[in-house]
This record gives sequence, structure tokens and C-alpha cells, in this order.
Amino acid sequence: MTPILEIKHVSKFFGGLAANSDVSFSMDEGMIMGLIGPNGAGKTTLFNCITGYYPPSKGDVLFKGQRLNGLQPDRVCRLGMVRTWQKVRPLTKLSVVDNVMVGALCRTNSLKVARELAMEQLKVVRMDHKADFIAGGLPIGERKKLEVARALATQPTLLLLDEVMGGLNPAESDEIIQLILDIKKAGTITQMVIEHDMKAIMRISDRIVVLNSGEKLAEGTPAEIVSNPEVVRAYLGDFHA
Amino acid sequence: MNIIRTSAGASPVSITLSLALLAGLYLFPRFVQSPYALHIMILIFLSVIMGEAWNVIGGYTGQYSVGHAAYFGAGAYTTMILLQYKQINPWYGALVGIAVALVVSLIIGSICFRLRGPYFVLASIAVAEIMRLCAMNLKDLTNGAEGILITEIPPLKFGETVITDFLTKVPFYYIGLTIAIVTILVTWWMQNSKLGYYFQAIREDQDAAHSLGISLSLFKSTALAISAVFTSLAGSFYAIYIGFIDPPTVLALDISVQIVLICIIGGIGTIWGPVVGSLVLVPLSEALRSNLIAQGIFKMGLASEESGVGIFLKEHLSHAHALIYGILVVVVILFMPDGVLGWAKKLAAKKGKG
Amino acid sequence: MTVFLQSLISGILIGGVYALIGIGLTIIFGVMRVINFAHGDLLMIGMYMTYTLFTLLGIDPFVSIAITIPLMFLFGAFLQKVFINRMLGALPQNQILLTIGLGLIMSNTMMLAYTSDYKILTTDYSSSSFNIAGISISTPLAISFLITAAMTAMLYWFLLKTDTGQAIRATAQDREAAQLMGINVKWMSILAFGMGSALAGTAGALISPTYYIFPQIGSTFTLKAFVITVLGGMGSIVGATIGGVIIGVAESMSAVYISSGWKDVVVFVLFLLVLLFKPAGLMGKSRM
Repeated sequence: MTPILEIKHVSKFFGGLAANSDVSFSMDEGMIMGLIGPNGAGKTTLFNCITGYYPPSKGDVLFKGQRLNGLQPDRVCRLGMVRTWQKVRPLTKLSVVDNVMVGALCRTNSLKVARELAMEQLKVVRMDHKADFIAGGLPIGERKKLEVARALATQPTLLLLDEVMGGLNPAESDEIIQLILDIKKAGTITQMVIEHDMKAIMRISDRIVVLNSGEKLAEGTPAEIVSNPEVVRAYLGDFHA
Repeated sequence: MNIIRTSAGASPVSITLSLALLAGLYLFPRFVQSPYALHIMILIFLSVIMGEAWNVIGGYTGQYSVGHAAYFGAGAYTTMILLQYKQINPWYGALVGIAVALVVSLIIGSICFRLRGPYFVLASIAVAEIMRLCAMNLKDLTNGAEGILITEIPPLKFGETVITDFLTKVPFYYIGLTIAIVTILVTWWMQNSKLGYYFQAIREDQDAAHSLGISLSLFKSTALAISAVFTSLAGSFYAIYIGFIDPPTVLALDISVQIVLICIIGGIGTIWGPVVGSLVLVPLSEALRSNLIAQGIFKMGLASEESGVGIFLKEHLSHAHALIYGILVVVVILFMPDGVLGWAKKLAAKKGKG
Repeated sequence: MTVFLQSLISGILIGGVYALIGIGLTIIFGVMRVINFAHGDLLMIGMYMTYTLFTLLGIDPFVSIAITIPLMFLFGAFLQKVFINRMLGALPQNQILLTIGLGLIMSNTMMLAYTSDYKILTTDYSSSSFNIAGISISTPLAISFLITAAMTAMLYWFLLKTDTGQAIRATAQDREAAQLMGINVKWMSILAFGMGSALAGTAGALISPTYYIFPQIGSTFTLKAFVITVLGGMGSIVGATIGGVIIGVAESMSAVYISSGWKDVVVFVLFLLVLLFKPAGLMGKSRM
């Protein structure tokens, strides 16, 4: 079975700075991959390279066997890969349902169908009661849920979540964790999750990749990562128990 | 801030009102014979067309072009050049003008759309200026600074019967009104279509939109194309109606700024914004031009016609419309950034709560 | 060969004045991130100030910059405090519209005050020139260049060596960090706009012996100022200096080798090329 995502020796340079350096790993369909590392390790940079925000300086990104390098983000989305943003990006002047419709319109030209698809996703994240609220007025927890709903509306096969739990209280985080697990259970969407909340990462990930200063430090199951002495040495204090 | 947004449908009341208004507008020339009143209405229609057109790329898609004179002038000059040198009926010339404006919009788009925010504004201005200077310098084609004057418009015939020979303002009134309505309908259609959603997504957050499957170059170009088509039509109509164009009248930065003003004052990114803006700007500018305001000040006794102030007002107020534009822009930007419409909505919301 | 040198030298001389305009604009952008569309109109006001001082009080234009500079500085500070300051957080598009509006007010007020008739300021030396190695150099342009060079040198010294100057540069580099270090960034904005206006006004004063003076002259210079600053790199004073000279030379050469009608087109085409291929300009990102 071809892995759904293959990262092969990906490097990204900004001037002299190597934000990503020779990172390689692959993901199988249906799994949840955790991507962790201290701030500045290059996690979001990797997301940006994968989704086409900018191309990698070196190396290849293969999605379902197809080489993605240099493809524009909109093409990547239509191929089935979508991401959420570390700093949420709601379409502030539009309503909640309109936000999600923008995602749904990726797969249909009909506004009616898009609205139905959008309401479905809003039900999944339990925000359908706020469908007509203006996105700009939502608190951070709901903005994050909105962004996930919007991403799901594009009917992806690979979902990249960038610190989706950042800034949330424990109840909200639990909701998101459950959402991620439910998505996995439905079986159609593979997920890669950047997160700082170690408890959450341990709960949801099938495998974990650890980045540090742009390089891949370690890869393995949650149990392997937690007991990896290099990881522990690098992040002592970064673990929230 | 939980503002419930109303759905896109229109209530039966507003539809009836709109139809009544429409009927009134179409019947207007039957009851009002004054050529001056018709002239004002035609100017308002022109202004509405230009404003609605700009809104598509500016208000909805968030790309503030301050160089829309490029399309206005493209339409005007194409129409006039074809009429003068090839004796092509100017209304057909206007269609060619649209094609020219589309090409111009594709060129401008390919240059400018990769630029963000203020750089886009500057580039749009630069392109319009280049066109103006070309019109000044390519004298063989455009008569340069002398401009192009038409002395007669071929009559509109259906078979052998003459529908109108364009000798009065009335045919222009109806044509202007119809184009304005078409432009409003197109904007309404766009707003309630996938295009409208995608345009607004680009305006709200370009990168997010991109990551959600929206091709930025395709949709920005589409918005600009729609905008260019109607702006060019306005330019052609203006040329035929007034009968004379030269580079400062149809390709100057003034025009581009005025177009933006119409939308800013009315309310950016709304269907009725440009209409409100036109209703404010056109009468105001005409009132200044024709000294109505000066007369009003004298009649009210605020100043004597003979006094220093009076003479100053009489002589200069007619040139002051650009000054008033400037003051209006500053006031609206500082205190009513959502335009008159937005401010009125806020007021209504407050009154509703209070 | 002399034709080439001639136009090159004229270009460099006028380029000095252009540099002054560009530096003013780039300081405003660098410190406040505001695109000042009224910049050319500030120049225009400088021209009229100089004209009035000359016709009413007989003060030589080059001498009167001693008065024009502080007056324009105060005017700029006033504009910043009353209008621009309210818009510092707003969308750049709205900021541009605000400055466009202010520019319209300025140019049309001057039109009401002075009429749109072209005014000419003629001094004894307005059309005189002198010869160096067979090349004729316009006297007023030469004097402008010397004054520009002196002012630019003083500006560099101010920004590099004085505390206030360094504070301005710090604010331009990173407004938040500067604030955290105790710099009063509000004052910096006022200073920046004041300085920018003073420089624009001075440029106006310097060219008043050689250009027609009319209220609408502002817009041509605004656009040129933007070409210069984008070419040099928005926020870079060195860039604006170099950019000014390049544009001055490009214009001068185009006027000689193509025609004076097309010289502005050359400048705008250059502008578009820069925006397309090196939008960060010659000097790159905002380092003053």
C-alpha cells in the first residue's frame, strides 16, 4: 500500500537559516501522526512546505504517490489535503455557515448543496446553532472549531492540524481531542497533528515525529518517544505531565 | 457582538418597493422635461455603473484599484477612435471597447495581482498613468491633448424605422438607466453565487482562501474582468453622451479616485453602497458647479452677495467640488469607515436597542 | 559624448532633489508603515510657501528654506497628530485613501487661494548656467544639489549619531520592541511625519526656481516619490538616495534620447518592472 504521505529529505532554507533540514518520514492511510518539538523546530514550516504555501528547498513531498513540490495551495486542497492555521484565520466578516460554505464550495458549485454540507460539518463540531453568527465575534475556542469544520468541508483525505488546541481551556481541548478521535474512527481521513499539549498527543497519536532545530530528532510510537533519552534530554520541562 | 445576518432572500415588501421605484424611474422622463434634470440623472446612472463595477474587485474581492480610469478610458477611446477613423457605430464600438478593456484587465491583473495591499494600489495607479501618457503621446491615434470630438451619432434604426436620433437626452437617460440596472443585477447575482463567496474569502484572508482550494489568480482576474467590462461600458457611454474626450477627462487619476469615493462614501462591499454614494456625490458636485450652493447661502442671508466673502464664494465655489470630495473622504474614512450605509445601519441598530 | 554626459549630469543634479522627496516618503513609511499619498502635495505647499516668501518679502528661494523647513515640519506634525494618528492600525487601503483625501484638500485649498494659473518664480540666476569641461550646468540645479547633499549628510548624521535619530531607526525596525525599550513611539511618528513633510517641502522650495508652480503639480511628484522609494526599498534611506539619482538620470536620459513626452512613461515602466521582479527594492527590507 502506498503511504498517503511521504516526506523525503525535505529541507527548507530562508537565506542562511535551515528551518527544515533533511526531514523524512511517511504516513499510512487512516493513522494519526503527532508532530512535536519546541518552538522554532520547524513544524509549521514543514506544514507550509507540504501544503504548497512555499515549495521545499530540497527533497520531495509525495501525496498518494504524486509529487507535490511547487504545486499551488489551492491545487493541493483540491487533491485532498487541507490544513488549519496556528493563528486561526476565520473569514471575519462572513457568518459561521458562510465560512464553512467556502470550504464546501471546493467540491460543488451549488450554494444549496454547499450550505447542506456546511451545516453537516457544523453539526459535527457542535456549532450548528451559531450558523448565522458573524465569525469575527466568536471566542477563540469556537474559532478553532469553525476552522476545523471549514477544513473538513473540503472533504479532505489528509487533514493537517496546526496547534489546534492552542489557547483552549481543558474542556475545549477535550472536545477537540474527541473530534480528532471520531474523525479517525470514521476511517476516511488521515491526520497529522502539531501540538504542544503532550497529554493530548500521547492520547491520540499512532506515531510521533519529533523535530528539533529543523531536524528530525526521533520517530516512533508514543511509548518509544517518551522513553527516548534524546527526546527527554531535549525537552525536559517541555512535557506537561 | 452576536450580529445575526439576514439571509440573501428579499422580502415581498422590498420587492414591491423596488418594482415601484423601477417603474417610477422608467416613467420619469414622461413627467420631467427639463434637460438639466435628465442630465443629473444620467450622471447619477454613470456614477452608479462605475461604482458597482469597482465594488466587484474593490469592495468584494478587497483589491483596491485606484487605477480604474484605465478601463473607463479604454472604453471611451476605443469607441471614439473607431467612430472617428472607421465610422463604426459607437454602440458597436462600445462592445469593442469592452474587449479592449478585458485585455487591459488581464495584463494589469497578471502584473499587479501578485502584489499585496498598498503595492497593488500603487501598481494600478502606475498602469493608468502609463495609459494616460500613451494617449497624450500617440497623437496619430488619439489626437493627443486635443482629444476627440464627435459631431453626430448615427441614429438607432430597427430595419428602416428610426427609434431615436439621439438629439435629446431622453434616449441617453433610458440607456444609462438600463445599464445601471444591469450592473446592479450582475452585482446581486455575483454576491449570491459561488463567485461572491470566493471573492469575499479572498478579501477576508487571501492565504486562508488559497488553502481552501481557491485559485487566487483565477478569481481575482475574474473579478477584475467583470469590473473592467462595466467600467469600460461606462466610459463608452460617457464618450457618446458628452461627445468629447481627452486624456485628462477620461484617463486621469481624478476619475479613479472619484470611482473609489463613490463606493467608500456609500459603503464598500454592498450592493446599494455605490447608489447611496452616487446620490450624495453627484448632486453635491453639480450643486457646487452650478453655484446653487452659493445662491443658497446668499438667499439664507449667511453672506451678502456683494461682500468679500460673497464674491469669493461666487467665483470659487464652483471649482471647489474636488475640495469637498477630499473633505468627504477624510470625514468618511475617519468617522464612517463603512460608509454612509454602514453608519446608517449602526444608527438603526442603536435605535432598535435604545 | 557631451550630450550623454550633459544629460547624465542634469539627471544626477535633479536626482538629488528626487532623493530628498524619496527620503521623506521612506521615513514616513519606515516609521509608521503609512503610504503617504499626499507627499507630492506637501512638496507643492513648499513650492507655494517659497513663492509667497519670494514675491511678498523678496526672500531668495534658497535662503527661505530656513523658514520653510520648520514651517513644513510643524505642518506635518499637525497632520500626523490630528489625522494620520487615528489610522495607524487601520487597513493600509484606508490609510492610502485618507492621505489621498488630505492631498485633495491641500491641492484644492491652494487652488482656491492662488488659482490654478501657472506661477513662475524667476530669480536673477534662474536661467543662468556655468561651464565645466564643456558641459553646461544649470546654476539653480547645481545649488539645489549642493543643498540636497548637505541636508542628506546632516540627515545621515542625525539618524546615525544622535539618540533621537537612533530612536527613530529603532521604531522603524520594530515598533513594539522600541516601545518596550521606553521609546515614545507616538512622538516618533510625529517626528517622522514632520521630517518627511519638511523634506518634501524643501524639495519643493529647491525646484521652485526651475519648475512651473501650480496646485496640481503634487500628484506627479507623489507617483515619482513612490517609484523612488519602491526602487530603493521602502524604509531604506540609502535606497531612496540611490533611487532618486537613478530616476533622475533615467528621466533625463529619456527626455534627451526618446522625447520629453515619454520620459514619465519610462519612469512608470521602470516602476512596474521593479514591482514585478524585485518588489523589496534595491536595498531589500525595511532597514533605515
